[in-house]
Amino acid sequence: MFRKILIANRGEIALRILRACRVLGAEAVVAYSEADRESLAVQLADEAICIGPADAKRSYLSAAAMISAALITGCDAIHPGYGFLSEDESFAEVVAAHGMTFIGPPGAVLERFASKSSTRQLLAAHGLPTIPGSDGMLRDEMHALSEAERIGYPVLIKPSAGGGGKGMRMVRTPRELESVLRVCRSEAKAAFGDDSLYLEKWLDENRHVEIQVVVDRYGHGVHLGERDCSVQRRHQKIIEEAPTPALSEAARTELAELAVAAVVAAGYENVGTLEFLVDAEGRFYFIEINCRIQVEHPVTEMLTGIDMVATQIRIAAGEPLGFSQPDVTFSGHAIEFRINAEDPAHDFRPGAGIVERYHAPGGPGVRVDSHLYSGYDVPPYYDSLLGKVIVWGPDRASAIARSRVALDELVIDGLTTNVSIHQAMLLNETFLEGRMTTNLLDRVGSAAFLAAAARS
Amino acid sequence: MSDQPPLETRVVEAAAAQEPIERSAAARSADHAAIAGSIDELLPALIAKLGATGLAELEIREDALRVRLRRPPEGAVPHDRRAGDRARGDRARGAAPSGGGSHGPGLTPVGPGRDGRDGREARGGDGRDHARPDQVRDVATSPAVGIYHPRAEAHAGSRVRSGDRLGSVDVLGVPQEVVAPRDGLIGASLVEPGDAVEYGQELVVIEFASAATEGAAAAGPPPAADH
Repeated sequence: MFRKILIANRGEIALRILRACRVLGAEAVVAYSEADRESLAVQLADEAICIGPADAKRSYLSAAAMISAALITGCDAIHPGYGFLSEDESFAEVVAAHGMTFIGPPGAVLERFASKSSTRQLLAAHGLPTIPGSDGMLRDEMHALSEAERIGYPVLIKPSAGGGGKGMRMVRTPRELESVLRVCRSEAKAAFGDDSLYLEKWLDENRHVEIQVVVDRYGHGVHLGERDCSVQRRHQKIIEEAPTPALSEAARTELAELAVAAVVAAGYENVGTLEFLVDAEGRFYFIEINCRIQVEHPVTEMLTGIDMVATQIRIAAGEPLGFSQPDVTFSGHAIEFRINAEDPAHDFRPGAGIVERYHAPGGPGVRVDSHLYSGYDVPPYYDSLLGKVIVWGPDRASAIARSRVALDELVIDGLTTNVSIHQAMLLNETFLEGRMTTNLLDRVGSAAFLAAAARS
Repeated sequence: MSDQPPLETRVVEAAAAQEPIERSAAARSADHAAIAGSIDELLPALIAKLGATGLAELEIREDALRVRLRRPPEGAVPHDRRAGDRARGDRARGAAPSGGGSHGPGLTPVGPGRDGRDGREARGGDGRDHARPDQVRDVATSPAVGIYHPRAEAHAGSRVRSGDRLGSVDVLGVPQEVVAPRDGLIGASLVEPGDAVEYGQELVVIEFASAATEGAAAAGPPPAADH
């Protein structure tokens, strides 16, 4: 096991990693930017080190600053969390070159899965059904138009280097494709420094179901079931739950077993998530793999009782997994609500400012992962996630009932949050019946959801 | 610590930029003396004014002289705080309920270093001036996280100009310059050569003398540091 781990992230995940380090008996150093001096992770850490200014490019995205901080504080491993440097294979390699361990897949593995299109080819070769898409990257407009014609409209334009829904556009006609292609390229270039784009068939009514896998260095892998992340706003997940209401238990098991077999065969290592689209008929298509711990990992922790961050750290340290598929049992139903500093009444405009009063809900099955405290000044420089309310119940109906109570109890004064959207969702018939599709919130509009909730 | 956080005082800009660059040493030292004189008159009044109000920042312009006083949030490194400030109108951070001073001692961020030394203690806890209005000081801070190496020439008592290199912070073999934030005399070093330092950490005190010595020194020997 590692002696001392640098936490190269911020917000709720920095706190989550700090807790895992303590459970494992490893010391932890929280690396923070100047804007996060008052953050909870910094306050609770045994040791914290300022690595740069608020600008993430010079702090949380600076490989040199992170590695320098880890070296001078005597760390032997770096945990990148999610976002920032978490899937940067060159960062993972430089960490290793400095004699430390990157907590995640090794650089070579990250590199193998770095490109979405070649990952789809690789995992298709290992038995995963993939969604019809363009043959490699789009070379030019002519190539894009002919590929879209072959796949059939509507198609989704996706940046190869992307993540989190950034830079994606759905187009229904060749004319639309022509007009947004250039915009997508420049957006991808600006956001990821890489303007490679590819096309994917767009399924109008689809669900997003992802499989959590854990694979140790010795090729021993298990799946930890699936999560349904179909409640999305502009391709950003806002509610995740497990098990998915979309598939039968047999179908879920089949998908999960297929997924873990494919990644083990393809040489994956550490925790990972395989994202699938599931169409109205229950057919599933592999979309992409996320080579990191995910925001929604607590949903799986609630169902399985497995500490995923601790498991991730143990595997990176070279320990064998220590359990097999039959040891993994799933109990009840869990739902996670992402609490964001966004204003649903104003097009989800992100906000920042002082949390005048904070109260986290409690009670049976209720878990809150958040870095908020009363008096905390939320900086405006980073993403708007304030925390996650995760609610477990023996079945979906009781998880929903507990969720209503928990969200009503949550107090975050001083900031506008998206809690009202969650509360509206918990009154929405489509959600209650487990029939949410990824485009529903955008198609119907969040205002309609809020208004319907206000009437009931 | 008093109820009010200490005031940070800095002459942000004290040069008439429109004037020709080529000027005699005498003209320059006259300017310096005039500026120092204004500061002598202005600062005590301004500090009193800022202290009496709940304002976080006060700026005065008089001809070519511009003086800005800022009350740093408690617990912050004052020099770099401006980068972290937000243009959010009238928010008076000092009055906000998030005062860092309300946390218990166990909740203080800890600085870097294998010896486990507290970062704030390393800064001496009194890195800021103790408000003798005629004696002002500033501190050169670290531009990066890494290992600090002072320049051999930059020893205590040397005269430096704003922007002069005092040393460097080594980040994975790449040196990042530590520069003097203002004209003055190199004072105490707050860290040892070879120490691990974090971003924004206070490294070297720059004393800028009282008006009398400033005026006299301006006519004295040239700065020790090269340009």
